[in-house]
Amino acid sequence: MKISIEKKDQHYSFEAQPGEKLLYAGLKAGFPLPYECATGTCGTCRARVKEGDIEEGWPEAPGKKGLKEDRREFLLCQAYVKEDSDFNNDTCLLGVPSAIKQFREDDLTPVHHQGEVRNWERLNAEVLQFDVVLDSAIQFHAGQFFVIQAPGIEGFRAYSMVNYEHETNTLTFVLKNKKNGAFSKWAFAQANEDGETKEVSLFGPLGRATFHPDEANNLFLVAGGSGIAGLMSILRHADVSGHFDNYSATLLFGVRTVDDVFYLAELNEMVGRYPNQITVHIVFSDHQSLAGHDLDLGRLNPGFGFVHEQALATIEPNLTDTMAYLAGPPPMIDALIRPLILEAKLPANKIRYDKFG
Amino acid sequence: MNWKVACAAGDVAVDSMKRFDVDGVSLMIANVGDGFRAYPPVCPHMEEYLENSGICAGGVLTCDRHLWQWDMKTGEPQGPAEKPLLMYETKEEGGEVLVFIEQELEYEFDDDDD
Repeated sequence: MKISIEKKDQHYSFEAQPGEKLLYAGLKAGFPLPYECATGTCGTCRARVKEGDIEEGWPEAPGKKGLKEDRREFLLCQAYVKEDSDFNNDTCLLGVPSAIKQFREDDLTPVHHQGEVRNWERLNAEVLQFDVVLDSAIQFHAGQFFVIQAPGIEGFRAYSMVNYEHETNTLTFVLKNKKNGAFSKWAFAQANEDGETKEVSLFGPLGRATFHPDEANNLFLVAGGSGIAGLMSILRHADVSGHFDNYSATLLFGVRTVDDVFYLAELNEMVGRYPNQITVHIVFSDHQSLAGHDLDLGRLNPGFGFVHEQALATIEPNLTDTMAYLAGPPPMIDALIRPLILEAKLPANKIRYDKFG
Repeated sequence: MNWKVACAAGDVAVDSMKRFDVDGVSLMIANVGDGFRAYPPVCPHMEEYLENSGICAGGVLTCDRHLWQWDMKTGEPQGPAEKPLLMYETKEEGGEVLVFIEQELEYEFDDDDD
């Protein structure tokens, strides 16, 4: 079915296959439609139907809060073409509240992929790392994510890549066990079966909380839990591109307890090579000291309390040559943005974030 | 006359803003140092209430949802913002901030007149 979007004097149109999310269809066609999470939680891809009919998808999507039904508003990342539509003749005209524009010249066009899940590795009791091997090599920017759909499970979940290579057919992800998460339940069950490879559907790369060496910034990185994934990719790209010859990185990685840490060896190794450029703080929200805990942080610094509070205590005010990357639960991001602008006086265009619900 | 009293001049500190309801019209009154400005209560992007999402710093208003920004004096967009703030005319008289409300100002969701 043909989907058209009118924006002032610009006109965009693309084809959407039956069942295909309209956001993915439009992005795949090369139109940089507005979005953030691409999975129904943030509401950034809000649009409205001006003519025609679409299926709105997931009724309880958290991002639908505040949508106006009388204006026929919906989320592009959830909506799809009705199964019974006359595919060749029907068209649908949509409106969106912000411009359809590139983020950078080197934006990558996301596409649908199939991939095989391999190399399950438990990083701790609640966190899994796994690889998805794609049918062909692709490029992505450090900090980007893919949406993944497991067999038999409704809907896509967003996961940031941990690895970075200029071109690769292997994407590495981390996953936190969520009690009510269908995908994590599936993944943890798979991880317990030896040697099985499973096929998943993916779409990406997505996301604009990206690192680009040519932007010439020091890095201020704040992660909550599995939000560390995309920041690991950023550190790795900075590493291989020689960024730490000229710029520094400060990472605050927030976890609850000593049992929740992971990637300590990888971070230690990086700090070992760049002791003057990279500073890492592991911030424990449920401890007041490490006394009595059997944990060696090596070259990493311990911190205690909420990671956003430690981050605000760590950042120097009035930085103009620093890009902040925030990745973690929405309350952590929300608690950081306002004081970063008001107190640390960080320019708003120097803050990039990934807010997954 | 459609000049209405919105608040006392002392109600809103310099470089900040507050929401007021004036005869059923909700608006943000901003103190820009040498005067006041009055905007509709929501962000022109996705209609987030600026009372919750707005950050005033150094004469710049930022909405914390998608970091759109505006010059508080002129309402002109900065950075990624794509639309200006709509503004009501304001004046200060006898320690009160007055706003000229002919009709409620609202943003077009997607810019198209239809």
